[in-house]
Amino acid sequence: MLWLWGLTVHINFKLLISGVLLSLSQQAFAQVNIFTCEPEYAALAEELAPDARIYSATTAMQDPHLVQARPSLIAKMRQADLVVCAGAELEIGWLPMLQMKAANAQVRSTDKGLFFAAEHVDTLDKMANVDRSMGDVHSLGNPHLHFSPERMLLIAKALTKKLVQLDAEQTEAYQQRLQSFSKRWQAASSKWQEVASQLKGMKVIAYHSSFRYLFDFVSIEQVADLEPKPGLPPTSTHLASLLKRAKQGDISAIVVASYQDLRGANWLAEKSSLPVIVLPLSVGGNEQSSDLFSLYDNVLDLLIQEYNAQKLLAL
Amino acid sequence: MKNMKFSPTRLSAKVSAALAMSALIPVLAQAQTPTLSNPTVSAILDGYYQSENRLMAERTEGFGLGETELAFSASIDDMFYGKLTTVFESHDGTSEVNVEEAFIQTMALPNGFTVRAGRFLSDIGYLNNQHLHTDSFTSRPSAYRAFLGGHYYDDGLRLSYIAPTDLYWSMGVEAFSGDSLRAADEHGEREFDSTGVYTAFTKFGGDIGIESSWQLGFSYLRNENGQLTPEEHDEDEHEEEHVEDEHAHSHSASYTGKNTYVADFVFKWAPNGNYKYQHLTLSAEYFRVSDFMVPELHDEHEEEDHHDEEGHAEGNSKDYHQAWYVSGVYQFSPNWSAGLRYGELDSQLQHEEHFDAQELKETELSIAWHNSHFSTVRLEFSHQSNVGFDNDLSDNAITLQYVMALGAHGAHQF
Repeated sequence: MLWLWGLTVHINFKLLISGVLLSLSQQAFAQVNIFTCEPEYAALAEELAPDARIYSATTAMQDPHLVQARPSLIAKMRQADLVVCAGAELEIGWLPMLQMKAANAQVRSTDKGLFFAAEHVDTLDKMANVDRSMGDVHSLGNPHLHFSPERMLLIAKALTKKLVQLDAEQTEAYQQRLQSFSKRWQAASSKWQEVASQLKGMKVIAYHSSFRYLFDFVSIEQVADLEPKPGLPPTSTHLASLLKRAKQGDISAIVVASYQDLRGANWLAEKSSLPVIVLPLSVGGNEQSSDLFSLYDNVLDLLIQEYNAQKLLAL
Repeated sequence: MKNMKFSPTRLSAKVSAALAMSALIPVLAQAQTPTLSNPTVSAILDGYYQSENRLMAERTEGFGLGETELAFSASIDDMFYGKLTTVFESHDGTSEVNVEEAFIQTMALPNGFTVRAGRFLSDIGYLNNQHLHTDSFTSRPSAYRAFLGGHYYDDGLRLSYIAPTDLYWSMGVEAFSGDSLRAADEHGEREFDSTGVYTAFTKFGGDIGIESSWQLGFSYLRNENGQLTPEEHDEDEHEEEHVEDEHAHSHSASYTGKNTYVADFVFKWAPNGNYKYQHLTLSAEYFRVSDFMVPELHDEHEEEDHHDEEGHAEGNSKDYHQAWYVSGVYQFSPNWSAGLRYGELDSQLQHEEHFDAQELKETELSIAWHNSHFSTVRLEFSHQSNVGFDNDLSDNAITLQYVMALGAHGAHQF
């Protein structure tokens, strides 16, 4: 019996060794470690590199401007092969500190494992002269890019290029993923375009310029902002001026993102009897928005429902 | 992001401005990125009025300027980052300019190692490596004022390492000249070690769910020049000098010892992990500074202690000072925050050949108004009670302070 026992031990040992080796090699070669600043880029990475280990520093319930350079984020960035962020100074209040503390040279330069989405597309609202009295504005343009289908496709292409640069062995797999994503994205885009035509001419009051690209894409006009100046919370005098504006009667809704405070919006809604629409800022901003596709579907749904209801009321 | 108000006149002005500037945009955009020829420049303005003097405090009675700083920083090349911070202060009609930071740091060492050299803030404790303008109170806790001269920066070298683990784990060692932490030397005859201070520290941290984060740190500081200077004392002279020390503004530690141990803990919470509207910061630190008695003094002292065991109930053979504080700060809206802090200091003051126990208890309540992320006006009430400090300082003080940031303001630490 003893020799039999010896054999099993031997076999198991061999199995164990090969198992360890396999997982080691997977760690070393197969799994790219991706750190994203915002959930929309985690979702995009999920589409383009589903085998990667992906971590998002923020959720759709958090203001991406104001993030703590907290220990967990430093630890994650320390291990990252690729860092994907919106750029255009959106993360200027926390990303440099993470880079400094994480001591990971791989993700410090865009030549290597750092990727800024805004560098690969044209941003809206670039400003030549920025002054703090204007509020929290970025000279490099609006960084909330992810509601522009066209731009997201360009970003997907650039990100694939970056993945190929970092992980050349899997070039083919990345190209295939991009192809599949592009096909589905373009099909969805033309569907969204069609749906969005119902929204043309809609006027809203919104909080911050979080949905600048969405409104640009679906031809909604943001006639006023709940913030008196970008980054500053609504004040009572500012809300009073918004109420005056709302009473002109051409505005259909107040739009707020999932992380934004509802108090100002609710006050205005009550006084002006306008509906408040809470849109998910990004993937995970509500139950329905589980990936980039369902995020767009859901956001358009919410807008159309409210707009149609308003039109019915008007009749 | 720009403000979206489309009044026609404004729009056309904007369009023409945009056209005129469009040729300049690439140049400007490039100039925005900090480079060697265009470093990040930031200034902090800090002014205050304080109703009373406080023990060992950076701020004095009346109007004054706190840490008004001008900082330049940039990546020097792909390997090095550099920063220069000069600080201007004015108290009681005297002004001073100090270079508080002038360091280089490696950016591309492999495996999580970083070296920093020059003048910089030591990484011991929680608050020490944070700049004063990020504090939620007008002065540092008594532990920092007594043992580190407010905040400890010095000329030296640091090697730090961060582990590649999901649990944040960093550690480091530092060596400093240690001039500001030298024990008092009345006659200027003592030969101090030129490299006087060595530190070692480690920090752990992580998240609890999506709403909470924490960090725990342990530090040790070895001060070769921290033991008291052995000498015979003329009590009157000594007394005079010490009282003067307590009043004067100084960056030197009031109490030193050979070994300093620090434990620190920070906990932060925000609803949904969203720091925009509300968040809470709880922190606590404990300092123990020990082994300040020189051997012969120690023996004498113990002897003496035995002699008047009965007469001197408070007679004190402790060879350590200690201090701790706990603080809680809550931001209840983007515009308003409030903080409460309580701290105790327990120190020994040398009187000829024996030591008298001193105790300082401080409570601070601060309320701050933030017009934006870059401007703060703060009102603070502090209450202190002390035993053993020969001082007629009032128990209560009110401080009104502003702290504002100009220019490219750097990211904050956790």
